[in-house]
Amino acid sequence: MIRATPQMRDLASRLVTAETGKPKASDPEYPAAFNVCEKLRPHLATLMGNEGFRAVLSRALTVTSAEVKWLAEVQVNVGGAWGGWDKPEAQVAPKELRESGVLLVAQLLGLLVVFIGEKLTLHLVRDVYPEISFEDLNHT
Amino acid sequence: MKKSKAAAKTKPPTKVARESGKVVIHKMPSGVRGLDDILGGGIPEFSFNIIAGTPGCGKTTLAHQIVFANATAKRPALYFTVLGEPAMKMLRYQQQYSFFEEEKLGRAIRFVNLADVVMEKDLDAVFQEIAKQVAEVGPSLVVVDSFRTVVRKALTSTSELEMQGFVQRLAQFLTSWEATTFLVGEYAPEEVKDNPVFTIADGLVWLSQVPERNSVVRKLQIMKLRGQESVPGLHTVRISEQGLQAFSRTLGLAARKSPPERRRRLSMGIPDLDAMLGGGLLEGDSLLIAGPSGTGKSALATQFIAEGLRKGEPGIIAVFEERPNGYTERAAGFGLDLKTPQKQGQLEILYLRPLDLSVDETMQELLEAIQRVGAKRLAIDSLVGFEMALAPGFRADFRESLYRMIGALTGAGITILSTVEVEDTFTAMPFSHYAISFLTDDIIRLRYAEIDGQLRKIIVVVKMRGGNHSKDIREYVITDKGVVVIGPRQTDYARLTTGLPEHLGQREEAPPEPKAKS
Repeated sequence: MIRATPQMRDLASRLVTAETGKPKASDPEYPAAFNVCEKLRPHLATLMGNEGFRAVLSRALTVTSAEVKWLAEVQVNVGGAWGGWDKPEAQVAPKELRESGVLLVAQLLGLLVVFIGEKLTLHLVRDVYPEISFEDLNHT
Repeated sequence: MKKSKAAAKTKPPTKVARESGKVVIHKMPSGVRGLDDILGGGIPEFSFNIIAGTPGCGKTTLAHQIVFANATAKRPALYFTVLGEPAMKMLRYQQQYSFFEEEKLGRAIRFVNLADVVMEKDLDAVFQEIAKQVAEVGPSLVVVDSFRTVVRKALTSTSELEMQGFVQRLAQFLTSWEATTFLVGEYAPEEVKDNPVFTIADGLVWLSQVPERNSVVRKLQIMKLRGQESVPGLHTVRISEQGLQAFSRTLGLAARKSPPERRRRLSMGIPDLDAMLGGGLLEGDSLLIAGPSGTGKSALATQFIAEGLRKGEPGIIAVFEERPNGYTERAAGFGLDLKTPQKQGQLEILYLRPLDLSVDETMQELLEAIQRVGAKRLAIDSLVGFEMALAPGFRADFRESLYRMIGALTGAGITILSTVEVEDTFTAMPFSHYAISFLTDDIIRLRYAEIDGQLRKIIVVVKMRGGNHSKDIREYVITDKGVVVIGPRQTDYARLTTGLPEHLGQREEAPPEPKAKS
């Protein structure tokens, strides 16, 4: 069950958009959502430790993969890095890749909201993505 | 003995001159209500401190309060978390407190997780990591929570001497970098003796929970604080939505101003009673009104306060058995307006019936009200109600705390009237079952006496420390003007104090019947 609010989905979408077009050099098809999580990782690991971050990300991945089949192949390795990602067996359309990525990030943000509240979650994300506007997030 | 001029010329420099070269240790506010008084002004800047205690005492909350009160973007705080409670968990719970300012996170307060270094590396690596972060950030405050975890892990592979060296090195480094440090840890009291951490620390704040009957009382003790005079002993602590709040044993009264040298006589609002008191109550006295139910103790207290208000002396009435509205209405029945002075900020009627508060907390409420209105007169109605309003576990401290408060307030020139209910016996005239007369300067005793087939009221001034007073036993009635002392001394009765007097004199005619106006 994806627990993210519309506001978190909107924010997740903005984060994924910010990372789109900035693929890993080694893998041009690397999902932008993974980049988002990796960018958040050092910041969140400072607060919860690498193991803590890995645990939260694993939870987000498990919940999201119940709705997104291709994510079932993916794992979170020690230190919070992505594993099992080469290329999905079935070809995933770019639109679906983006949408499922937004769901994953939204789920991660949703978990953070459960633990530390919306205000602090936004505060933490703002520190990592200062260029993104948070003013007009969709609350509906 | 007078000193010669020559001797005066050769005398050493004055204290001020000698002291001028001393280092000034600035004190940081703790952010905890009441704690700065206990600390002797605040936390010494650049000190190396330990916050210790058993689990659940509020160590982390205290550390957070200090950090939130002092950290700024320019002089931030570094909060190192280890295994006990990761920062994320702290943030989840600490944001429930009102001192938590989300805006400070990241800029003014930076959390650093040390768990991985502690788990995987040695003490030197822990020191290097802390040193690296401190050098980067230049913090004014450093917290390691929990330091005990660092030590516990390290002791599996490190000697005690090496551990002492690590703590010494850490203390020197952090002080040199102008950081005020708090090591938070779960320690048992018996560890204080042998643990090198406590030897090196400049300050040691000990938090504990003391079970008393069905209550648990939180206590705080400054076991050590270099360079300044803290208040010794155990102080009550409460954790509420505001975080920790500390209640000094001395109630922060040590620095109050001294009473006036010449003390005035204050009117009780009853001319006959003023005369019995030798001209009135001495300013700064503590007066106890003792008597059974219905003898007019509250009426006397009300008149005492109302008279003060009439003369421009603000007052406080602390009530425990009756609600303020009822008290105000009853005063109006005597023709005394307590509503207007309340609106004008000259009077506060405090209804203190917390039931689970410590005596120090209750007294703190009183003291704050006294400060708010600049009270000169205080009525506590009654001491029995006051004690009953406290949780059972706190009652043992009641007399001691009352003694401290009354002593300090009267010392500052505030005049206190307390009422106490005593049961009338017909063989003796006890003043109070409390044995608290030692803390009162003056005692007035009210009691019933059977005279001419009526249960009448008599009043006598039993004790007046500040001077002579009337020894007369006078009959009084309560009218629509409050307590009114009537009639001269009754010479035709003996053993009035027993309540069952013996009629001695010949009565040629019946005395006028003293009773209240209808």
